[in-house]
Amino acid sequence: MQQSITYYLSRILPENNQWERIWILAKTDFKLRYYETTLGLIWAFLHPIIRMVIYWGVFSYILNPDIPNYGMYIFSGLIVWTYFQEATRKGLMILRNKRYLYENIRMNPYDGFTSSVLSTVINLAFNVGVFMVLSPFFDIGFSFNMLWSIPILLNLAVLVYAISLILVILNSFLKDISQVWDVFLLGMFWINPIFYAKALIFETFPALMYLNPIAGIIVNLRDALMYGQMPDMTLFWFDWAYALALFGLGAWVFNTFFHKAMEKL
Amino acid sequence: MAVDETVIRLQNVSKTFVIRDKKVAPFFTQLGWLVNGKNVRRIEALKNINLEVKKGEFLGIVGENGSGKSTLIHLMTGFYKPDKGGKAEINKSFIRLSLGLGFNQELTARENIYLNGTVMGLTLRQINEKFDEMIAFAELEKFVDTKIKFYSRGMKARLSFAVAIHADAEILLMDEFFGGVGDERFKVKSDRIFKESMIKGRTIVHVSHNLSTIKHYATRVILMHQGELVGIGTPDEVFQIYKEKLRVEKLHLRDYIDEDNAI
Repeated sequence: MQQSITYYLSRILPENNQWERIWILAKTDFKLRYYETTLGLIWAFLHPIIRMVIYWGVFSYILNPDIPNYGMYIFSGLIVWTYFQEATRKGLMILRNKRYLYENIRMNPYDGFTSSVLSTVINLAFNVGVFMVLSPFFDIGFSFNMLWSIPILLNLAVLVYAISLILVILNSFLKDISQVWDVFLLGMFWINPIFYAKALIFETFPALMYLNPIAGIIVNLRDALMYGQMPDMTLFWFDWAYALALFGLGAWVFNTFFHKAMEKL
Repeated sequence: MAVDETVIRLQNVSKTFVIRDKKVAPFFTQLGWLVNGKNVRRIEALKNINLEVKKGEFLGIVGENGSGKSTLIHLMTGFYKPDKGGKAEINKSFIRLSLGLGFNQELTARENIYLNGTVMGLTLRQINEKFDEMIAFAELEKFVDTKIKFYSRGMKARLSFAVAIHADAEILLMDEFFGGVGDERFKVKSDRIFKESMIKGRTIVHVSHNLSTIKHYATRVILMHQGELVGIGTPDEVFQIYKEKLRVEKLHLRDYIDEDNAI
């Protein structure tokens, strides 16, 4: 019998077509990623672990870093980074992938984005779950400060949402944007403290910590998840303000050019 | 509620698309186009359309390929905005139905029903209730959890029709959606449902090359030709104009009508 969680939830929760639609779209997106494979959802767990092990092996050999618990250090950085990379790449394509919706019904244009961000957040939650499961094996104890990871990751999701709004519009006018964005991501990958200690680059270029909000999110998430510490509150609020300001800009760009963009697709 | 309440209104609606042709050219020539805008063409898809659709009406839209029928639908839904000076409004809940709906080939019938059901404005609870009825109507009981990429065209058409009947919208904008679904037996059944429940109490805008459907159901028909509205009236009146246009172009209307020879 294939009655899903959705079926049972729908019998308890109040009816709301808009949110139900967003949920079904997000769920479908998430499902399709692993649908064809034999292992299915297990890949959602395997992927982050395999990725961590590869980077760990390579970088501990090359960099020989003086960072305790290096495997988990890399893992926590990769959680943020892979999410950011995959979700913004996907964000670029939202209007194209969801065109049939915009074409056929009167829908709040943001619904497509909300569902897409939600589907990637499910993936993010899987990654964090894997991290939590592995933690005890790496002597990472539980701390209530770990709960800070929730607003920090939410901050990341808002940032992705905002960037998607801008990228999707740019991409419909100039297809080269997806190439440009890939190059940009490649550069960003290396200026973020994913493999090395934050001091390495940010003591030389402290401005980078603020220009690039991903760095602050990685640093703060580590404090919360690995070290059981309070995050750096200046960075925390700064990154939230950054994401919200970018969201404001994104919403303006999107509202202004949405219809023109759709004609170009 | 007034009887002749206008639910869709287009005033001086024109639509021009600016398109950039893809040509092979040296890199620097292409860069030049970015600056001086060469290689860009303007296509007038619709020219100064004025049209009102009343509540409860069944409006048929006919015309050759590329005459602007689908663009007209897109303007009605607000998906496209008219050029400056034009105004398009629709003031009731609507849904645009096109062939294949938003079906995802990789999903099963069950998943597609939930996905498309929510898209069509149904709540999950309503879909739970109507689920068995939809499957039974589409006669797909044995294929509920089969991915629809393994379905035949007829099976897909039946499924999309079974879902669309329940759409929660007062206006249905059908873009080549209905007409000759499935085999003869299903055609009879769907015709009956179409008449008795799908279009009843709703406002319908129906784009089709299948003139017999339009002949049977439409209360008013418009004829589009090269972006202009060239004829409006009862099916018979408009088909006459259409016939004349095609005669000039040495085509036969008979080719446009299916076997039961509506005209």
